[in-house]
Amino acid sequence: MAYLEISGVDKVFGTDGKPGQKVLALEGINFAVEQGEIYALLGPSGCGKSTILEIVAGFERPTRGTVLFDGARITGPEPERAMVFQQPNLFPWLTVIDNVMFGPRVQGQSDMRAAAKRAGHLLEICGLGGFEKRYPYQLSGGMRQRVAIVRVLMNNPRVLLMDEPFGALDALTRLTMQELLLAIWGELKPTIIFVTHDVDEALFLADRVGVMSRRPGRMKREVGVEIGRPRDVDVMITPKFTALKSMLIHELRNEAQATDGAPQDHTKILTG
Amino acid sequence: MPSANGSDKEIQPMTRSIIGGAAAFSNSTYFYSALSVSMLFLIWIGTTQWLAVVSTKLLPSPVSLFNEFLVISRSGYAGTTLLGNILASFFRMVLGFTLSAAVAIPVGIAMGMSGKVRGFLAPIFNGLRPVPSIGLIPLMVLWFGIGQTSKVAVIFLASFLFVVLNTAEGVRSVPVGLMRAAANLGAGRVQMFWRVVLPASLPAIFTGLKTGLAVSWAVVVAAELLGAQRGLGFMIEDAATFYRIKVVYIGLILIGLIGIAMTAAINALERRIVHWVGKS
Repeated sequence: MAYLEISGVDKVFGTDGKPGQKVLALEGINFAVEQGEIYALLGPSGCGKSTILEIVAGFERPTRGTVLFDGARITGPEPERAMVFQQPNLFPWLTVIDNVMFGPRVQGQSDMRAAAKRAGHLLEICGLGGFEKRYPYQLSGGMRQRVAIVRVLMNNPRVLLMDEPFGALDALTRLTMQELLLAIWGELKPTIIFVTHDVDEALFLADRVGVMSRRPGRMKREVGVEIGRPRDVDVMITPKFTALKSMLIHELRNEAQATDGAPQDHTKILTG
Repeated sequence: MPSANGSDKEIQPMTRSIIGGAAAFSNSTYFYSALSVSMLFLIWIGTTQWLAVVSTKLLPSPVSLFNEFLVISRSGYAGTTLLGNILASFFRMVLGFTLSAAVAIPVGIAMGMSGKVRGFLAPIFNGLRPVPSIGLIPLMVLWFGIGQTSKVAVIFLASFLFVVLNTAEGVRSVPVGLMRAAANLGAGRVQMFWRVVLPASLPAIFTGLKTGLAVSWAVVVAAELLGAQRGLGFMIEDAATFYRIKVVYIGLILIGLIGIAMTAAINALERRIVHWVGKS
């Protein structure tokens, strides 16, 4: 049995007694993630890929199907399944260090001194040394997202659920963040599910990429990224990378055309 | 505030003046404030003293007001010192406002957190909302007599709804993202309340308190107009009866100045406590 197993998951919104139309967001989602693997969920916006993360995180329940983590059903949010959101969601009234120490404090961890030491170490790795006493509004967008990552790493998560965490950052910062994430993975080897609509990002980070269709979200195909690690930015210009990239872009393009009827030439120009 | 990575997020002066609003007080804004105050003062002196086109019976000149101010600050008014009258009003307000906030904040939190409580209280509060608190004064006098209690009750009611409704709204609009982040980090229900819901609602609570405070100060004076032995409202009412117009004006000006001082004080407190508001 795989470490994290999602089988036959449907999600219908609007079934919880609230008024409004029912929307089928996910249909028959099947995939499995191995321990220590980086799995990217790639799909057009609105395809429900974030909903999958919310289900794995325990914020939402699947309407049908099962999600098993390490053999057990998911019943609610747990620090061991750590979510990094699109927005950093830092507590604006707390300093960087107090945001980072939030987890250990609310869990009543016995050894606060060790937690503080770990916080210092992780902040240092993420280039946030010296910013402990700053407030979130005094940081740049990239720094805020790094604080959010350190905040969940404090809980020693077994799975990192990342919901387009670098989507709001500029291209250069995004690249730095991706490299940082790979460095963190190299050190702690957490299992990662990474949601993105950016083909480069998916290929650069992941061991496997699951491509999703438009709503209702279905798994269209799964692609293994056989590029060795450690990876650096240079892999992005290797023939293997560009071949995979071309394939995924066509896959997504077909998906867009299926419903939008987007002109074919348009994407041809983009992919060269 | 210097931003951390060198990319300056500080809003430029030009943008600030376009955005406008109370947050954008620059030097030029202060200049225009000073201008309006001096103009008002000049018109006042000009019409009452230099040109004497306005009867000083209706509007005394600034100089004569100041002299009268010196007189009553030395000898008091109607057996009470001027400071005594000011403090009488001030403590009435503080008492009514503090009691009001002490009840309104928990009630507002309960309304914000529970749909049942909200449903239960909403018709009562919605019915009370259009009733001007000054209109309740006769009723309060009937219930509690003309002593301190009826005045404190009026002040209590005047600020109550502002604090309740703002608090409830603040609690209801705590960002889902923050709550999910906290739950994901291991916060239970109690911790969620103390560490997330309450601090996230503080800005809205402050908004309610600020309005409540301003309204309380306005209402204390109104409450004193009907039967009080001391206080600024009493002083104004009593002086008007005896045609001491200067004292009426002094009372009004003091009410205004104290109101400005209280607003400045609570704004300073707000900037200290909810320092993150308006900064992204």
